[in-house]
Amino acid sequence: MISPSIFVFAPLASAALFTALMVVRSRNVIHAGYWLLPCLLAVAGLFGSLEAHFFVVVQILIYAGAILILILFALMLTRDVMDPKQRQTTKFAPLAVPLCIFVGLGGALMMARAPWPAIQAAAPGPAEQTKALGLGLIGDYALPFEVASLILLAALIGAICLAKAEKEPAAPEPVIDLRGEIELEESVSAGAADGH
Amino acid sequence: MTANLTHYLALSAALFGIGLYGVLARRNAIAVLMGIELMLNAANINFLAFWRFLAPNSVEPQVYVLVVLTVAAAEAAVGLAVVLNVYRSFGTVNLDEIARLKG
Repeated sequence: MISPSIFVFAPLASAALFTALMVVRSRNVIHAGYWLLPCLLAVAGLFGSLEAHFFVVVQILIYAGAILILILFALMLTRDVMDPKQRQTTKFAPLAVPLCIFVGLGGALMMARAPWPAIQAAAPGPAEQTKALGLGLIGDYALPFEVASLILLAALIGAICLAKAEKEPAAPEPVIDLRGEIELEESVSAGAADGH
Repeated sequence: MTANLTHYLALSAALFGIGLYGVLARRNAIAVLMGIELMLNAANINFLAFWRFLAPNSVEPQVYVLVVLTVAAAEAAVGLAVVLNVYRSFGTVNLDEIARLKG
């Protein structure tokens, strides 16, 4: 019945919230991309405080490893169009602020007022948990597993088709290597001379 | 002092709100995608908090988190491919300048 300690939760939670704010508030999108890294790592730490060991690793590998790299690459490929000095928000931003405060704080207050039961039981250890998840994925939850793999395959093909250049560059003119031809002719004539 | 389910749910709601701001207010399409990632992370915290506090012996919440992660990866790949395509044909990734549907 071990609840996660508040002394683990509080620093991780404040780090996650602060870095998330920096992600959406940074004027420079490259900085926003880099702020996303500590945010995702703090979320991985929160998963750790919940004893979801497998998902700590998955979060670091997939989010901090793969998705973040993809985002940073896209930022670098489109870097020249986004000057940090120009406006970074749409004209709806003043409307979005109260809406998001309402959703965030309202949701948080609503969650805080609901009577949640105390922690039920100790979590299984890392090995048992991961084993149960793996058995679940090929047993009771095979359908979501297969659907997820289908989604990944579709995304793979779709991303390749979308990112491919629409117009193929004009094929370069075939370069005729004259030296090769001359050597060929010479060898042919030499062969002809030998034959005679 | 222990953190209970309320703390995690409140944190997740706040993180979701921040991500929503990123989605609604940012001009750069890639920054919008980053906001979506924050919202998906908030959902994952929610799933895992419910798993830990209410049903630690069930596998189902973890399967949900795995599916969310898969969808997040697919969304990032396809979304960024679309953004690169938009950048190629419009020369910008600012969402309020991309208003043409055809031609």
